[in-house]
Amino acid sequence: MISQRDAFFKRVYELAKENRDIIVISADMGTSALEPFKRDLPGQFVDCGIAEQNAINVAAGLALEGKKVFVFAIAPFITMRCYEQIRTSICMMNLPVTIVGVGAGVSYDESGPTHWAVEDLSIMRTLPKMMVYSLSDAEIAEDIAKLATISAATMYVRMDRKILPRIDSNIRINPLSDIVILSCGNMINIAVEVAAELQYDFHSIDWLPIEAEDTEFFDDKKQIITLEEHSLVGGFGSAVLEVLADNNIQIPVKRIGMDLSKGYCYQYGRDAIQKHYGLDKDSIIKAIKGE
Amino acid sequence: MKEKAKELRKTVLEMCIKAGTGHVTSCFSCVEILVALYYGGVLKHDPKNPKWKDRDRFLLSKGQASPLLYAILADRGFFPKEDLETFCQPGGKFGVHLQNDVPGVECTFGSLGNGLGIAAGMALAAKKNRQNHMVYVLLGDAECYEGAIWEAAMFASHNRLNNLVAIIDRNHLGVTDWTESMLALEPLEEKWTSFGWAAGNTSGHNKNILGVFRELEFRRNNIPTVIIANTTKGGGLSFMSNDPKWHGLAPSGEDAERARKELL
Repeated sequence: MISQRDAFFKRVYELAKENRDIIVISADMGTSALEPFKRDLPGQFVDCGIAEQNAINVAAGLALEGKKVFVFAIAPFITMRCYEQIRTSICMMNLPVTIVGVGAGVSYDESGPTHWAVEDLSIMRTLPKMMVYSLSDAEIAEDIAKLATISAATMYVRMDRKILPRIDSNIRINPLSDIVILSCGNMINIAVEVAAELQYDFHSIDWLPIEAEDTEFFDDKKQIITLEEHSLVGGFGSAVLEVLADNNIQIPVKRIGMDLSKGYCYQYGRDAIQKHYGLDKDSIIKAIKGE
Repeated sequence: MKEKAKELRKTVLEMCIKAGTGHVTSCFSCVEILVALYYGGVLKHDPKNPKWKDRDRFLLSKGQASPLLYAILADRGFFPKEDLETFCQPGGKFGVHLQNDVPGVECTFGSLGNGLGIAAGMALAAKKNRQNHMVYVLLGDAECYEGAIWEAAMFASHNRLNNLVAIIDRNHLGVTDWTESMLALEPLEEKWTSFGWAAGNTSGHNKNILGVFRELEFRRNNIPTVIIANTTKGGGLSFMSNDPKWHGLAPSGEDAERARKELL
């Protein structure tokens, strides 16, 4: 089992050996996944230090000159500290830069809420032509790495910091159920468990925006439940509501995620944080049953 | 050079009067700097081939001076001069801030503080591609309050980007006040030197600026260069210069006539 980060950059490294235009920018990320770049491809590796605004601007400059750039940092910092640079320097010119953030949700659990990425989906998916991938396992991470190197799109790849068990994202628990749980990222693990216990259908959606054609997986259901380790404001559940409303699909939706009106918490350990926000399996089942 | 500067000031003034908006004073402080670059044989460019790969890159980080760059690009033949009449007009080609979909414009600007980092990225790409062109970027002095400028300053010197030249339009004014009374930028040259740049200063309103560009010996340095060009915001128009109240405004009525007369 390897992390999403290691799987992703292993594939980027293999592709970068064949394509000198691939450049990886790191904001002082200490990870062995980047060592092969430093060792074998130093001309394709740039360290900007902990300076995310400059990392994004440098990425824009390189991309304007035809480079295929990956910018790697901790998720809340590479989205929020430099959001305006992403919007102006990258998105306004439709540059094919891939922003890679590690630490989806509360996966930097012991680091505290400064390191959580629980608002990033809301702000990143509002940017035009931004493809947002919330990775759920390492295998998908490899595929997305390859896609990013050939795509002309601007991308935000959101990685979990922990090594997550491999779950076939095409898994269906009870396709005949009228109720489906939709989820993304690390939460598909809990979603599958909950679906199995309640004998609901399950469907994972790793990418945003959700397109109209994606609704075919759930447009015949009588109830949708969305599950995310992210703020309820503007996140995954909101994206589901939008695609339903915009396509006149009238299915009741129950959103389960982080109610940040409770404030940030200083609990440590992912289980404790999930419990605090009602994202552990028992709390989720209670919420679904209206208990 | 003097005549060209005068002609461009007239063009910019008329564009902004017609539009009823535009940063006239921000343009006027950097006219001679851009004339030196585009007409003094400094900036390699080809209006018939705006994306010529060996062109020198020019980035106008103070994107509010877009009318001046648009006027120059039209004059050089990147697009028809008639297009300038659509500045800030409904259905027109361009608005107040700089857009990269205009031929000859390298990069979109409007939000301050981003130009130096983007220029550094372009200069780094040139190094990696073994290309010999230069990257010039014009910064406003009050833009140097942005932290991203200093992140980029550190990055450029560390990466020995001797193909990067920053020019600071040092007109000493922000939007509302003198820089030194609002939040002191000085000692500015020393700040750049301590960040690892070759720094110098000159007048930005006469032929000295062209002389400085021609004498730059970046190839002997292995560090980037910054030129602090001392200018006057609204330079060329007595009643609009050095007065914060004219920031972002175009003159109208009697003021417009007065400005036209001064530029005759």
